[in-house]
Amino acid sequence: MTALIALEGVSKSFGSVRATDQFSMELEDGEALGVIGPNGAGKSTMFNIITGAVRPNAGRVLFAGRDITRAPAHERCRMGIGRSYQIPHPFANMTVFENLLVGAAFGGNRSEAACYEDCHEILGRTGLLEKANALAGALTLLERKRLEMARALATRPRVLLLDEIAGGLTEHECVALVETIKTIHRTGVSIVWIEHVVHALLSVVSRLIVINFGQKLAEGDPHQVMASAEVQEVYMGISAE
Amino acid sequence: MSEGAATYRVARGTRASRYGALVAIAGLAVLISLPFWGGRADMRTIVEIAYYLALAQLWNLLAGYAGLVSVGQQAFLGLGGYALFVFAMNAGVHPIAAIPLAGIAAALFAVPTAFIVFRLRGAYFAIGTWVVAEVYMLSFAQVSALGGGSGMSLPAAVVKGIAAGRMWRETAIYWTGIAIAVGAIALVYLLLRSRHGLALTAIRDSEEASSSLGVDNFRTKIWVYIVAAFGTGMVGALVFLTKLRISPEAGFNVVDWTANVIFIVVIGGIGTIEGPIVGVIVFFVLRELLADFGSWYLIVLGGIAVLMMLRAPQGVWGLIAERFDIRFFPVQRRLVFDPASFRFVADDREEDKRDR
Ligand SMILES: Nc1ncnc2c1ncn2[C@@H]1O[C@H](COP(=O)(O)OP(=O)(O)O)[C@@H](O)[C@H]1O
Ligand SMILES: [Mg+2]
Repeated sequence: MTALIALEGVSKSFGSVRATDQFSMELEDGEALGVIGPNGAGKSTMFNIITGAVRPNAGRVLFAGRDITRAPAHERCRMGIGRSYQIPHPFANMTVFENLLVGAAFGGNRSEAACYEDCHEILGRTGLLEKANALAGALTLLERKRLEMARALATRPRVLLLDEIAGGLTEHECVALVETIKTIHRTGVSIVWIEHVVHALLSVVSRLIVINFGQKLAEGDPHQVMASAEVQEVYMGISAE
Repeated sequence: MSEGAATYRVARGTRASRYGALVAIAGLAVLISLPFWGGRADMRTIVEIAYYLALAQLWNLLAGYAGLVSVGQQAFLGLGGYALFVFAMNAGVHPIAAIPLAGIAAALFAVPTAFIVFRLRGAYFAIGTWVVAEVYMLSFAQVSALGGGSGMSLPAAVVKGIAAGRMWRETAIYWTGIAIAVGAIALVYLLLRSRHGLALTAIRDSEEASSSLGVDNFRTKIWVYIVAAFGTGMVGALVFLTKLRISPEAGFNVVDWTANVIFIVVIGGIGTIEGPIVGVIVFFVLRELLADFGSWYLIVLGGIAVLMMLRAPQGVWGLIAERFDIRFFPVQRRLVFDPASFRFVADDREEDKRDR
């Protein structure tokens, strides 16, 4: 079976910073994959390379076996790659509902009216229904993060790339978020989740990749990876969670 | 949470928009009847206001929505003006019918122009559009068939062909002016209410996010650029039908057709339909007030624009909308919940408050 997403020897430099260095990975269709690593390790850059927001200097990006290294971001979204930004990019002067409509109509390639039911349902599922008519610019940071996920869901993705959406949540909110992500995963959407809140991550993913200095430091069963000596070293303090 | 599929509907209108529409229709009726009771000077001023309003709406579509800060729209205005003369003089087309044709001609020129300027980003795009407009001006000055650098006048026979009698000629031009202004507003309004409007407002707010949600930013912008050129070309044809004379200097004038228009949009409020309408009123009032002060007029205008950008970048309309919480053009989509399904009520005023 071909992988849903494959990165093959991908590198990206910003000036003298090697954000991604000879990086390879695969995601099976239907899998839930976790990604951890220190700040500045190149995790978000890896997402940007998958979604097309950043072009790699070397290497190939494949989606369902097809080479998309040169495909523009909007096409990749329409193929089924949905992402949430670590730093939310809401359409600040549009309502929350309209924010979802953009993803649903263009990412999902549908007429506007055909999106209403879906968007209404996703708003309910992500706890944003009460904020449907609020301008996105007026949301709190936590609500903005939920909007990032809701908007990506509206594009009917085959894979959802989530970038640090659990930070700053209360324990209760975190449990609710984990449930939401599990539900999304159960409906057949593959997940790649970058997260510092390791216990939340481990309750969803079945495989873990550790990135350090743009390279893959470790990969495999989440609990074994977390217990490995290298990861303990990089993750002093955080592993205590 | 939901009690079946019918617990919500999607609404567009606001209370202000419903009253606003009534006032607008009444105002339009008054304007259309003006030739039968108003003065000729009034008609001429209103045509001028109308074409500036149309230009402002189109520039707002470009800069306020698609993020295309063009300083070279005079290229398409001049092209439209020249196209009118060519169609009317050389092809014998009725001058009023030549106006939409002039728009099409400008749109055709916009395609190769876009290939050049769309390679540039941000400030370079702005400068690039200006340079291209200057190239158009210099090129037209070289064409002796079009009167070269000194331009040409519309022959009396062509002018007489508009309609029988001076009164009807002026009325025809006046109504065309009103139609173009209303058309420009309607174009932007319908565009924003459509599916394309979602893409445009998304691009306005965040280009990075819109592309990651499936919006083809580049394609959307190219289309906006071509549509704006079409409208600007039509306005150009109208402008020089009222002036009866065109020259490269007048047709491709950056102060008249771009600087003034940017002033109107910035003062009124960029990124809204109401903004350019408010801006055009402010512009003409200031012009009246400062008419006796010669070149001070431009200095004051520039000063106000700079002050506005620093102090209130949302413009006069932005300040009003914030203060009183109103919108006359309902381009927003709101989820309205069935009164039966708790918490949400279908009262207009409540809705209007909530979506702020
Ligand atoms: N667009 C960019 N321009 C310049 N430097 C960047 C850009 N994006 C990321 N970087 C740099 O690349 C490195 C990796 O960043 P990032 O992928 O955001 O890390 P992480 O998400 O793991 O915290 C950092 O040093 C960051 O400063
Ligand atoms: Mg990051």
